[in-house]
Amino acid sequence: MFDIATGHAIGLFAGLLALPLAELFLRFQSGWRKVSGTVQAAAVLMATSGVVHLALIGHHIRTEPITAFLFLVNGLAFIGLAATVRWRRWRLASASLLVATILGYLVYIGFGLEGPDQVGVATKLVELAALGLVLVPVRGEPRNSHRGSRWAALGVALPFLTVMTASTAWVVDLARPDARHVHAGALLQATNALPTQVQQDAANRLYAETKATILPYQDSRKALAAGYRPGGPSNMPSTHWMNQAYVDAGYVMDPRRPQGLVYANTKHGPVLLGAMFQMKNLGQFGPDPGGPLTAWHQHQNICFTPFGFEFSFMTPFATCPIGAIDISAPPMLHVWIVDNPKGGPFAVDIDDEVVKAIVKA
Amino acid sequence: MQSMFWAIAGLSAIPFAFAGEFFMLGLGLASLLLALATCLLAIGVLWRRRWARRWVIALEITCLIGSLLLLLLPIGANHGPVALMTNVVLPIVVFLLLRKPRHETSLGESNLAQSGGASAA
Repeated sequence: MFDIATGHAIGLFAGLLALPLAELFLRFQSGWRKVSGTVQAAAVLMATSGVVHLALIGHHIRTEPITAFLFLVNGLAFIGLAATVRWRRWRLASASLLVATILGYLVYIGFGLEGPDQVGVATKLVELAALGLVLVPVRGEPRNSHRGSRWAALGVALPFLTVMTASTAWVVDLARPDARHVHAGALLQATNALPTQVQQDAANRLYAETKATILPYQDSRKALAAGYRPGGPSNMPSTHWMNQAYVDAGYVMDPRRPQGLVYANTKHGPVLLGAMFQMKNLGQFGPDPGGPLTAWHQHQNICFTPFGFEFSFMTPFATCPIGAIDISAPPMLHVWIVDNPKGGPFAVDIDDEVVKAIVKA
Repeated sequence: MQSMFWAIAGLSAIPFAFAGEFFMLGLGLASLLLALATCLLAIGVLWRRRWARRWVIALEITCLIGSLLLLLLPIGANHGPVALMTNVVLPIVVFLLLRKPRHETSLGESNLAQSGGASAA
């Protein structure tokens, strides 16, 4: 959702190029100066969206000819409407086309015919803005301009379509993450598909050495003495304890100095679940001796708040709750020393059921 | 649209509050209140209230400064087109539309009326 799909970048470039050109050329149509600024702005945005659709035809034409045809019709219709702002039925036609286009996109991503990406969501933002501008009444319009029904349509359609777009893109992204996004907000390091024997041995060595190092920290007082400090809320099933000195030193996957420890929060005190290695810089994945077994992951687009060190996920429209900021965490690799049947000892997450069982015990 | 974006952000925090992140409940509710306030300010602007215009300009400048800081600081904030549109372009556009009282009707008023061609004001 926060990436640009392969082949869609051309749509973004075309849209950026189309915006000033539409602003320049649309004014040559007859009657342009007699329509309101909202109509002019809507026409420019619709022309931009039309060009984005036309630019994406080349990417889709071989594998998805129906999609390419729909993009052609859609793009030409947008540009045609942008060039005929004085048409008597312009508002009705434009609003209908915009609503149909947005709903069509939601159906497409909902049924998995296309994944939500930055070009798709950005284009929907442009179309939502255009829809608002098409519908909003302005002062000085003729009496028979259906102001009441347009206000009603604006009040219903725009919030509904905005929320629908955000929720559909989000649900699809969470339900069907691509191979490199194992769960929301985590980008997995690219590796070979199946581990070789050498990689298997290396992963076993890393696991054994790390486990030997952190076993003494089953006593959390020793972890405190070694410089590990809990971060985040203590009412969650588990908490990461970080050693800032090791983070600052930038040790790279040193089994004797893991940057973090993960504890389950039980009523009898913290129970050690595993260790966490962390790189110092964003986007810099660590060494990967175990191939797919020891792939690092980087948490992206998370909304972090200093209030209680809590997190949520950024919305598809790239907003965070007030008081939280959008950040990414440097790549990390977990080593779970408790049995983690669903993902293994280096999984991105530990199985919730495992943690619950430990907490209950 | 900004009001809806904040409302969505506020709603997105609520599930995390149910999962035990209690501060997120406060942030979610604060975001929903901000969304409501923004919506009311938009209505105020529509009704040509000067106080609403001033508040909206202050809000947009605050948003823009915050967004630019996030873009410039090396904290891995999203720099994608949607983030730029929502957090930078939108505040700039709203600010530009509202910045001059004499021109505040340039987008929101029919040129038919300005050129004397409208049958009703």
